[in-house]
Amino acid sequence: MAGPGAATPVEHAHASHVARYAIVWIALLALTFATWGLSRFHIPGGWGVAVALGIATAKSALVALFFMHLWDQRGANRLVLVTSLVFVALLVGLTLSDSATRFPLSNPPGSEGALPVGPTDYGGPPPVPPRDRGLTP
Amino acid sequence: MSETTATAAPSFLAHHFESLEKQTHAARLGMWLFLATEILLFTALFTGYAVYRYLFTPDFQAASRDLATWIGLVNTLVLVTSSFTVAMGYGRAVRGDGKGTRALFLVSVLLALVFLGFKVVEYSHHFHAGELPGRLYVSTRLQGPGAPIFYALYFLITGLHAVHVVVGMTILAVIGLRAGRGAYTREYHVPVELAGLYWHLVDLIWIFVFPLIYLI
Amino acid sequence: MNPSPASELQGYNPRNYLNSPATGLKSWLTTLDHKRIGVMFLVAVTVAFALGGFFALLIRLELLTPGPTIVDAMTYNRLFTLHGVVMIFLFMIPAIPSAFGNFLLPIMLGAKDVAFPRLNLLSFYLYLAGASVALYGMVHGGADTGWTFYTPYSTTTTTKVVPILLGAFIIGFSSILTGLNFIVTTHTMRAPGMTWNRLPLFVWSIYATAVIQILATPVLGMTLLLVAIEHAFGWGIFDPARGGDPVLFQHFFWFYSHPAVYIMILPAMAVMSEVVCAFSRKNIFGYKAVAYSSLGIAFVGFFTWGHHLFTSGQSTLTGGVFGVLSMFVGIFTAIKVFNWTATLYRGSISFTTPFAYFVGFLFFLVFGGMTGIALATMSLDVHWHDTYFVVAHFHFIMVGATLMAFLAALHYWLPKITGRMYPESWGLVAAVMVVLGFNFTFIPQFLLGNEGMPRRYFSYPERFWALNVASTAGASVLAIGLVIVLVYLLVAIRWGPVAGANPWGSRGFEWDTPSPPPPENYETTPVYTHGPHEYHEDPEPPRHAAPEPKHV
Repeated sequence: MAGPGAATPVEHAHASHVARYAIVWIALLALTFATWGLSRFHIPGGWGVAVALGIATAKSALVALFFMHLWDQRGANRLVLVTSLVFVALLVGLTLSDSATRFPLSNPPGSEGALPVGPTDYGGPPPVPPRDRGLTP
Repeated sequence: MSETTATAAPSFLAHHFESLEKQTHAARLGMWLFLATEILLFTALFTGYAVYRYLFTPDFQAASRDLATWIGLVNTLVLVTSSFTVAMGYGRAVRGDGKGTRALFLVSVLLALVFLGFKVVEYSHHFHAGELPGRLYVSTRLQGPGAPIFYALYFLITGLHAVHVVVGMTILAVIGLRAGRGAYTREYHVPVELAGLYWHLVDLIWIFVFPLIYLI
Repeated sequence: MNPSPASELQGYNPRNYLNSPATGLKSWLTTLDHKRIGVMFLVAVTVAFALGGFFALLIRLELLTPGPTIVDAMTYNRLFTLHGVVMIFLFMIPAIPSAFGNFLLPIMLGAKDVAFPRLNLLSFYLYLAGASVALYGMVHGGADTGWTFYTPYSTTTTTKVVPILLGAFIIGFSSILTGLNFIVTTHTMRAPGMTWNRLPLFVWSIYATAVIQILATPVLGMTLLLVAIEHAFGWGIFDPARGGDPVLFQHFFWFYSHPAVYIMILPAMAVMSEVVCAFSRKNIFGYKAVAYSSLGIAFVGFFTWGHHLFTSGQSTLTGGVFGVLSMFVGIFTAIKVFNWTATLYRGSISFTTPFAYFVGFLFFLVFGGMTGIALATMSLDVHWHDTYFVVAHFHFIMVGATLMAFLAALHYWLPKITGRMYPESWGLVAAVMVVLGFNFTFIPQFLLGNEGMPRRYFSYPERFWALNVASTAGASVLAIGLVIVLVYLLVAIRWGPVAGANPWGSRGFEWDTPSPPPPENYETTPVYTHGPHEYHEDPEPPRHAAPEPKHV
C-alpha cells in the first residue's frame, strides 16, 4: 500500500467519468421530460402515482450511483443510504396505512368517508343556539 | 510513519487519523450520515403530504393542476443540470484543476439562482392569489377544505428545500472559490466531494418534489 | 501499550488531560479533546438532572394530599411538563452517550480522539444553546402541554411553548452530531487488531444508540418545528377545524420518541455489559448475542411507535400491527438479561457499588420491561393508558435502569476520569438508599394506576391518598440518597485517595491507560490480539506490540 499521501488506485479511473456524467445527465433530462409527458395523460388512480414515483426512483438512483459515486465506493456509504430509505418507507407506509384503515368518521371533516364540512369547520362562525320554546320543565 | 512521505499530504492529515485514506473515508461516511438525517427531515413532510393527499384527493389534484407546471419542469431541468456541472467540477478537482472546479461550481451557483428566481415568481403569484396556508388562505379559486392544507405543505416542502438550495449554493461558492485559489490538490480534494454530495442531495429531494407536487 | 514504566501507572498520572496541553477556562471552552468534552457534558447533565429532580420533588409534594397542596392546577401542569422536558431532553438522552461515550469510546478503540473533534465541541455548545433557549421559556412560565406536546392543545395554548420546542429542536442537533461522530469513529478509527468481534460491548451498544440518533432525531426536529409554526402562524396541519389530523402529530412525535427510549436504555445496557464482566471477573456469556441484540433493539424499536396511540383514534388494524411488533423488541432485551445472568454464574463476584447498581438495574429492567410487554397488549392498554401504571412503567426503566446505570458508570469510571477513588462504604449505603427509595416511590404508582388514578392530575380521590403518601416518602429517600452520592463524589474528586491505573483489576481496554489518561490517550497505537475482559489464570502475552520500529 502506498504512503498516506498517494492517490488510491480508483482515483485514476476518473479519467473516464466525464463521459459517464454526461450520459447520466442526458438520461436525467430525458426522464424528466418523460415523467412530465406521462403526467399529461392523467393515468387514473394509484397507477399515476406509481409511475411518477417509479421514474423519480430511477432518476435518483442515477444521481446517487454516479454523481454521488456510490457505484464505486465502499459498502458503508451505500448501507447508510439504503437504511435511511427503509425508514422513509416505514414512516410513510405505516402512517398512511393508519389513515387508510381508520373508521372513516375519525378522519378530518371533508375528507373521504368522513363527515361533511360543517358550519364551524375551517373557521366558520359558530351556529346560533335554538330558541327556547318553553318546553323544558 | 510520517517520515516516509515528502508530499503535501501530511498538512491535510489530521493528527488523530492514521492515514489520509482513512480520513477521507471517515469524511465521506460522516457526510452520508448527515445526508441521511436530511432525508429523514424531509420524510416527515412527505408523510404529511401522503396522508393529506389520501384524505383530500380531489382537492389536492385540483390544487396541483392549478400550479404552473412549466415552472416546475424548467426548475427540474435546471437543478438536474446544476448537479451535472457540480459532478463535472468534482471531476476537475480530481485532476488537480482548481480553476476548472471554480468555474463549474460557479455555473452551478448561477443555475441555482435561476431556480430560486423561478420560485420567487411562483411564490409571489401565490401571495397575490391568496393561495396561502391554513387560515391565511383567501383564494376563491378552490373551495375544498384540502386546498389550505395543500398550500401549507407546498410552502413547507418547497420552502425547506429552498433553504437547502441557499445553503448548498453558499457551500459551493465558498468551496469553488477556495479551489480556484489552489486550496486542494489531486491527492486531497475531499471538501469538493463533500460539497458535491450535499448539492446532489438537494437535487435528489427535488426529483421527488416535482412529480409529487406538480404532476400527480 | 504505553511503554511507560510500571510505577507511573500505579500512581496519579502527572501529565494528564486535565492539566495538558493547557489549563484555564479558555483551554477548556475551546478544547478538542474528547475527554474534556465528555467531562463538560457530565457536569452539564448533572446540573440538568438536579433541575429535573427539583421539579419531581415539587410534583410529589403537591401529590402528598388530595386537592391543592402547594400549587394550583395550572402551575402543576407546567411542573410535570418541565420535569419531563428537562429529564428527557437535557438528561436522559445525552447523559451516558455524550458524557461517558465521549470519554471512553476512543480509548476503548485504541484511538487518539473521535473522528470529528470540532463537531464534538459543537455538539456541546448546541446542548448549551438549546438548554438556554428552553430555560428562557421555563423562566417565563414554561409550557403546560406535557412533554409530549399533543395537538391541538400545544398549538393553541398561550403558555411559552415555542421556546421549549425550539430548545428541544436545537438539542436534537447536538444528539445527531454525537451519533454521527460515534458511528464514523467506530467504523474508521479502530486500532490494528480491533475487529468488530473484539469491540468492547460498550461500543456495540453506543453504536446502536448512534444509529437511532441519526435516523430518528430529524423527524422529531421537523415535528417540533411544525408545532411551532402552527402555534405561531396557524397553518392548520394538525388543527381539526382546518382539516388537519391531530393524530398525525402523534404519529410523527412517537416515531422519534419511541426509538428515543431506546436511546435512553441502550447506553445503560452498554455500561452494564462492562460492569458485569469487571465485577464477576469473567468474560461475557454470549458475546455475539449481546452485541447483535443491541442492533436488534435499535432496528425493531422503530417499528413500534403506534403503541402510544392505542387509545388516540388510530385504526384498529394499525393498533394490532404495532402491538405485535412491540412484543418483538422485548426479545432482544431478554437475550441480554439472560446473558448477563449467565455471566454471573461461576464468576468471582465483588459486591462493589457499581455491582450493587447492576443488581438494582437487572431487577428493575426486568420488571419495567415486563410491564412494558403488558402495556403493549392493546386490550390491557385501554385500561392503563394515561394512568399511573404507565408512569410507573417508564420510571422503572428510566430511573430504575438508566439512572442506576448512570450511577454505576460514575462509580466504575470515576477512578479513570479523575484518578481518585470514592469511599466504598458510603457508596454502598447510598446505593441501598437509592434502591429502597426507588421501590417505595414507584411500586405504589403501579398500584395507583391499576386502581385507575390518571396521570397528570394534580388532585385525586381520597382513596388514593395512602399510596401517594408512600410514593412521596419513597421519593424523599431517593432524593436524599442521590444527594449523598453527589456529596461524597465531589469530596472524592477533590480529596479522594489516588486510584492508580486499574483499581478494579478490570480487563476492559480503557484500563490500560494511566489514570487520568494523557491527552493523546496512547503514546503509540495499541495492537489488539483479542477482545476485552479476558480473565484467564495463565499469564497473558503482552496485548500491545512494542513501539513500532521506524521505517527507513
